[in-house]
Amino acid sequence: MSIQNLNTFDPFADAIKSSEDDVQDGLVHVRIQQRNGRKTLTTVQGLSSEYDLKKIVRACKKEFACNGTVVEHSEYGEVLQLQGDQRENICQWLIKSGLVKPEQLKVHGF
Amino acid sequence: MDEDMIFDPSLKKKKKKKTGFDMDAALAGETGESTSVEAPAETGDVDVPEDDNLDLDNFGKKKKKKKKTFFNLEELENTLPETPPTEEPEQQEDEAVDDLDLNIDFTNARKKKKKKNIDEFVLEDDTKGEDQENADDQHGVWVGSDRDYTYDELLERVFDIMREKNPSMVSGKKQKFIMRPPQVVRIGTKKTSFANFTEICKTLHRQPKHLLDFLLAELGTSGSVDGNSQLIIKGRFQQKQIENVLRRYIKEYVTCHTCRSPDTILQKDTRLFFLQCETCGSRCSVASIKSGFQAVTGKRAAIRAKNV
Ligand SMILES: [Zn+2]
Repeated sequence: MSIQNLNTFDPFADAIKSSEDDVQDGLVHVRIQQRNGRKTLTTVQGLSSEYDLKKIVRACKKEFACNGTVVEHSEYGEVLQLQGDQRENICQWLIKSGLVKPEQLKVHGF
Repeated sequence: MDEDMIFDPSLKKKKKKKTGFDMDAALAGETGESTSVEAPAETGDVDVPEDDNLDLDNFGKKKKKKKKTFFNLEELENTLPETPPTEEPEQQEDEAVDDLDLNIDFTNARKKKKKKNIDEFVLEDDTKGEDQENADDQHGVWVGSDRDYTYDELLERVFDIMREKNPSMVSGKKQKFIMRPPQVVRIGTKKTSFANFTEICKTLHRQPKHLLDFLLAELGTSGSVDGNSQLIIKGRFQQKQIENVLRRYIKEYVTCHTCRSPDTILQKDTRLFFLQCETCGSRCSVASIKSGFQAVTGKRAAIRAKNV
């Protein structure tokens, strides 16, 4: 699995994005939601459309040993969904892989 | 709380008086007795550097003093001015503890500390009127030596001057920010009640709607205020989880981003919210509350049925 090619970081990606649509504030929002019972769901909104989210989700599923999917949303673009509370994992991973800078991350939830 | 405030500074004052005459003797001789009395009351005074005895005396930082004498009493007597390197890590440690306090306690630890100092000043002005003497002492700190001043010293100095020149600011800072913790009770298996939601809104001087929007957006769920003015939230949440979110709310929308005073007003200007501070006058925009993406979590069949 080569995540290498994901590492190319466009410093102007945010600028392009935020001028594109003002729903994206240049931040990557990591949220948690409760599902039925004790189960939870982690969503990652605001990743640059330059990235191949399918590849990211594949890598994450393997890394965190959880299920995940990419959801297309009319307003928010492609959103990553992972089962369970993966907020800590995904934040670390996104930073480590160089996809997102720490100051771009906004973690929500309890 | 108020009793504390009055009680504490008076102790300090006494100490200050003592050390005023001769700080060498004071440091070497009386630390044993005085610290044993005052140590427990101390919460953490960080901003004063430890290499300057005059400073210590002036501001009544007993903790520093205590530590110093504790660790190298003899060294201190011999080589008075140069002791800082040995104590550097200690200070940092203190700072860390302080930060932790800040995070845990709803009442701002840093402010508490400041307030103590303020009280000291106020008290002194009122009772002894030794303003001048005080000022002289202060100047002495800076006149007597040719060393470089540390950032902390300079900071302390500028704050002291500010406090001295703005008594109104001092009194404004005196009000404390005390909030009852949220009362969170489970209702059945799928819902949670936040019983004192309305009360907390009042304490924070914020519209219930605003706090509601924030809570629901952060928790990624739905909910509403019922007839008993309690908030019913869908999903299971524990008290500490709600408290966590509340703390973030306070940090972003209640306390001033510049001076941390809770005496602020949230104004809506066109589409943005601004936090206007009544204490320091600062005004800054705050993040707008957005739920953002919400995943579909209900039973899909039910949703499909609804849509058809
Ligand atoms: Zn302020």
